Amino acid sequence: MTARNAQERLLDVKGLTVEIDGRRGPAVIVDGIDLHVGKGETLGVVGESGCGKSLTMLSLMRLLPNKIKVTKGTAEFDGRDLHKMSTRELRKVRGGDIGFVFQDPMTSLNPVMRIGDQLCEPLIYHRKMAKADARKRAVELLRLVGIPGPEERLEAYPHELSGGMRQRVMIAIGLACDPKLLIADEPTTALDVTIQAQIVDLVKDLRNKLGMSVVWITHDLALIAGLADRVVVLYAGTVVEDAPVDDLYANPSHPYTRGLLASIPTLSDAPTARLSSIGGTPPEPGRRPAGCPFAPRCPLAMDICRREVPKLEPISSGGSHRAACFAVNKALKAA
Amino acid sequence: MTLVQPNPAIIEEEPPVSLWRDAWHRLRRNKLAIFGLGVVVLLAFVAISGPYLTPYDFLSQDLAARNQAPSLAHLFGTDDLGRDVFSRVVYGTRTAFLVAVVVTAIALVIGTTLGAIAGFFGEPYDRIIMWLTDMAMSVPNLLLVVVINASLKNPIARWMEAQYMATLNPFYRETIWIDFFLVFGSMALISWPPYARLVRAQVLSIRTRPYITAAMALGLSNRIIMMRYVVPNALGPLIVSVSAGLGTAMVLESAFSFLGVGVNPPTPSWGNMISDGLRVWQHYPHLLAAPAFVLGLASVAFSFLGDGLNDALNPRGTK
Repeated sequence: MTARNAQERLLDVKGLTVEIDGRRGPAVIVDGIDLHVGKGETLGVVGESGCGKSLTMLSLMRLLPNKIKVTKGTAEFDGRDLHKMSTRELRKVRGGDIGFVFQDPMTSLNPVMRIGDQLCEPLIYHRKMAKADARKRAVELLRLVGIPGPEERLEAYPHELSGGMRQRVMIAIGLACDPKLLIADEPTTALDVTIQAQIVDLVKDLRNKLGMSVVWITHDLALIAGLADRVVVLYAGTVVEDAPVDDLYANPSHPYTRGLLASIPTLSDAPTARLSSIGGTPPEPGRRPAGCPFAPRCPLAMDICRREVPKLEPISSGGSHRAACFAVNKALKAA
Repeated sequence: MTLVQPNPAIIEEEPPVSLWRDAWHRLRRNKLAIFGLGVVVLLAFVAISGPYLTPYDFLSQDLAARNQAPSLAHLFGTDDLGRDVFSRVVYGTRTAFLVAVVVTAIALVIGTTLGAIAGFFGEPYDRIIMWLTDMAMSVPNLLLVVVINASLKNPIARWMEAQYMATLNPFYRETIWIDFFLVFGSMALISWPPYARLVRAQVLSIRTRPYITAAMALGLSNRIIMMRYVVPNALGPLIVSVSAGLGTAMVLESAFSFLGVGVNPPTPSWGNMISDGLRVWQHYPHLLAAPAFVLGLASVAFSFLGDGLNDALNPRGTK
């Protein structure tokens, strides 16, 4: 699947910067992110809470909350800049070309609307389907995401379904109009492990069937290993590493990625062994260090790391594996 | 998918209970609210089927039987023109319900629309609409209604007369239209601001919920999001407020009729019956007591029902 990476880019984000208008003046939350997703590719976006994963994705759809704004950068989807589209065009893209699955299935469905009506909404609105056809398609969709008894479920209200069922409904809504790109924002965080596994299988299955691209946001590195073609690691609103999935796990380069991977407990650990962790906390927006944002927590930090911001540079021969780290690049040049 | 489907029996939460059924269960336990509901339903029945219940026409005068005390022939006695007070109270119920429902409906439509726009779209609509609301609330209610009636009634009546002369259309001879237009209009004008404020506050809190962002991510238009996602979720507190508002509108209409700026005689209204009865209450107390009692009963019933609905629809309130 890695071969596809060189193919056409469906989503191409360049230099995306998002700022919040805080009480102490504007603070940068997302700092010049470069991202791209090829057609049919699954991109994993990994990072700890608050590193700007969700905001990056929301900014693509221009769904940022008040006081948070995109100040720089472009985001081209299928050759058109999402940030320069008219509202009318953008509405066609939202839900039509890009499906979005939200983090919290408990609160992301309208509590006073039946599941069926919520599923039919994008079909009627984007596809101009008649009500009866839309309901037929809704039944199909519910069956597709593995909900038993879909005909009866159409009449159910969200509170009558369990969390896993609701998340499946969310995915069904995201898939309703056969989007070219599905953005899933930690869709399994609220679910228990068995249902997580089912949802991951489901998305893989659907991706292969429908040929869509997927952006999967998570902080679970183990989960993304079995799902993504390529992984982007975010730290404090910057991309620190971007690599094909196998490369990343075999050869993690950025000290932050290494720290993350080292902190996954394994079954072969001695039962008494302490869990490994990365010392310190990520910088608050507005109080970012002058150089590399990870420098204060980095075991390899050098003088230059505290003065200058490292750029994302290729570290493998093909250029598909890139990292933003002075130490890694220095070691590479020395070799 | 090779994984086994989850057993629905295990992942299913508690048995499905809808919000409304839940609320109805709580409401049923509240005796005062059920009393209120009963009275409201009874009065509504009387208002709808009025003409079939009354023994006399509300206008028919019997000058031989003036100012009679309550008897079997005249349950609430007769007034100074020998009209049956019971029949007039029943017809007054019609007027009261008509006024309450029409005025509340107009106020609700204006208030909900403005409040939803202010809350959903934010600046600058929010500021402008809230200015309007504050302005409308800053004028004393009675004064506003009196001014509107005093300044507009005659011009409109003259215009209607002129229209009748020009077209001979009997529609323009019905002075009741003036009543409806002026009384209902001016009452709606003073009734909408509280609804606008309530809906705005609701919408402000609902707007930040994840399902609204999700609806926007589906590319739905603002109109659809407002009508199907925002307003239905704001409905609970609105229902409570409407129930209380219906009672308030009835009292308001009576107050205006009492001051002579409400529904015009001979259309019976509790307010103008009270106003008439007040002049002679030392001699014929039943002329005051009958309409005043029914008005009080209606107002108390609506307020109990509103309180009960408030408790029933807010599970987090009193237990």
